[in-house]
Amino acid sequence: MMTANPSKRQRAGVDKPYRSSLFLDAIQRLIRDKVAVAGLVIMGVFVLAAVFAPLLAPYDPIAQTLTLRRQPPSLAHPLGMDDLGRDILSRIIFGTRRSLQVGVLSVGLAIVVGMLIGALAGFVGGWLDTVTMRFMDVMLAFPALLLAIAIVTILGPGLMNMLYAIGIVSIPAYARIVRASVLSIKQQDYILAARMLGVRNLRILFKHVLPNCLTPLIVQGTLGIGTAILDAAGLSFLGLGAQPPDPEWGAMLGQGRYAVFTAPHIVLFPGIAIMLTVLGFNLLGDGLRDALDPRLRI
Amino acid sequence: MPTPQPRFERCGPRRSCPVTLSAIWGASVTRYIIRRLVLIIPVLLGISVVTFGMLRLIPGDPATVMLGEHATIDSIAEFRERMGLNEPIYVQYGIYLRDLLRFDLGRSIMTNRPVIEEIRQRFPATLELTLGAMGFATLFGVSFGIIAAYRHNSALDVGVMLVALLGVSMPIFWLGLMLAYVFGFKLQWLPPSGRLQVGIELLPLAQAWGLSDWAATHRVGRNLLEFFSGFNILSAVLTANWEALWSSIKHLILPSIALGSIPMAIIARMTRSSLLDTLGEDYIRTARAKGLKERMVLWRHALRNALLPITTVMGLQLGFLLGGAILTETIFSWPGLGRLVVNRILARDYPAVQGSVIFIAFVFVLVNLIVDVSYAYMDPRIHYE
Repeated sequence: MMTANPSKRQRAGVDKPYRSSLFLDAIQRLIRDKVAVAGLVIMGVFVLAAVFAPLLAPYDPIAQTLTLRRQPPSLAHPLGMDDLGRDILSRIIFGTRRSLQVGVLSVGLAIVVGMLIGALAGFVGGWLDTVTMRFMDVMLAFPALLLAIAIVTILGPGLMNMLYAIGIVSIPAYARIVRASVLSIKQQDYILAARMLGVRNLRILFKHVLPNCLTPLIVQGTLGIGTAILDAAGLSFLGLGAQPPDPEWGAMLGQGRYAVFTAPHIVLFPGIAIMLTVLGFNLLGDGLRDALDPRLRI
Repeated sequence: MPTPQPRFERCGPRRSCPVTLSAIWGASVTRYIIRRLVLIIPVLLGISVVTFGMLRLIPGDPATVMLGEHATIDSIAEFRERMGLNEPIYVQYGIYLRDLLRFDLGRSIMTNRPVIEEIRQRFPATLELTLGAMGFATLFGVSFGIIAAYRHNSALDVGVMLVALLGVSMPIFWLGLMLAYVFGFKLQWLPPSGRLQVGIELLPLAQAWGLSDWAATHRVGRNLLEFFSGFNILSAVLTANWEALWSSIKHLILPSIALGSIPMAIIARMTRSSLLDTLGEDYIRTARAKGLKERMVLWRHALRNALLPITTVMGLQLGFLLGGAILTETIFSWPGLGRLVVNRILARDYPAVQGSVIFIAFVFVLVNLIVDVSYAYMDPRIHYE
């Protein structure tokens, strides 16, 4: 007998029509990829550490106990004390905020600007394309770290200036990716259809073209965060990024490097923290590439 | 990561490719090289605009910034005049460009010596380090890649790839510090810093060969001799100074490993995947079926074809090495260009920084050009437009 009431099975969702979307497919593939999940877990741990840093850190990251300078790891201070008698574990936990901040924000800046430049160059074409892309070529003609150093030299040392420098240096990579995608998408039939319906150019660009360029951007962005964190650590190590007493991992290495022979733990642990974070982003980026790359989808 | 754009196309199905090596060399490669050389000019001009802008974009008056806040009004006025800062900006750029063409990069504020001289003095050290790192990365990267490909999906493969993954995630300056601590300090196998053991003397070539008088009168000859004297290993060999040679090699090992670790990891991954592709080809099966020794199959048939992507990656990594040298040289007190840049930034010696930056960028562009052009030697299938 037919009833208006949904059956038990229907309510439990068993009889739901099979729903699938490219996005859900990608998520499923990502979750099945053990390596990517490992990356996600590592990243999750560091994100949690960054969010709950004040709760997790056993000590104040900038409070100095001069009597305990360079003390090796102990029960009270699991990762030891640094050159000025500050708890290294607390500094690493708080440093997570800095590294993630620099990584995410600089890549975000690069993606936004790079996407705009690449989209305009690819979509408009002509002299705008030639001029902007030649300028991107010039930027790529500098080794990335060197250009970042040059920019920080101009802007002056500091965390924010370092963030801008790393962001600016990464713009050309994203601009190129987006331009290449835009050039191929521009030729698709659905863009022609939109044009024939009289959709305005800007709307075509933002509604129809750009959403289809996102896949390579997401992959490159995830891998880019790892590189940005490494570059940031390098700049801070040279004294051009985060300034003391800011607990930034690269700066911790830079300030502790003269103590490496007498108290190697000062240098060992911040380096491991950097490596694990970058590893997390690299693993996730590789996994995302496999999950999102349509060529692998059979 | 800077990417040189190889402007070539692969022609259709491999066996039906009509282009032969001689045909390529006859016509299109020469044209291709000339075109690449011409295309490089706007890039070099662009680089010069960027580095020119560097000094002008510093907030505040460049003269005050460079001379410091305690400079007198007279010295600032004199400096502005000498640097041409009173001219309109396009005239300033014109002067800058003219000086560049004469290899004049200005004078260092710190030492008052021509910047190009300081670069010439230090560049060989950086080049030696870069080549050492590239040698390490290639040797171990390709070996690890081959092992991983041949033992595909074994524990060894997983291990090698894990090491490669850690390699690309590691800050090189941290690795450098750790290497210096373990091998330089704890085990005392290798020196933790510097280029040559204190007490060992390595004479400049002009002096060692008794050419000092000749060099005093021949500027070009003197400069060349000075330049080659900067390569410790080379000049130790040329002057048969074996003690200095051994010491130089020992000093080069740790910095090369630190700088070469990331390229090594990338080359290992690339070799593995490229070789795996090639080993699946029909001609490899044919080679094995006709009873060739596995060594022959690997070197003659598989590796040769897998080489192109590997070389591409190596070329791309050179840029990374030039940038990474800045960090590595700081760790190991290596007296190269990278340390010059860092020291002079901290000393606000902007002309020296500007000169070093443009010099490194030019070297980088040239290296990329050489890499691009060398594809022609390596893959006769490449069809140049």
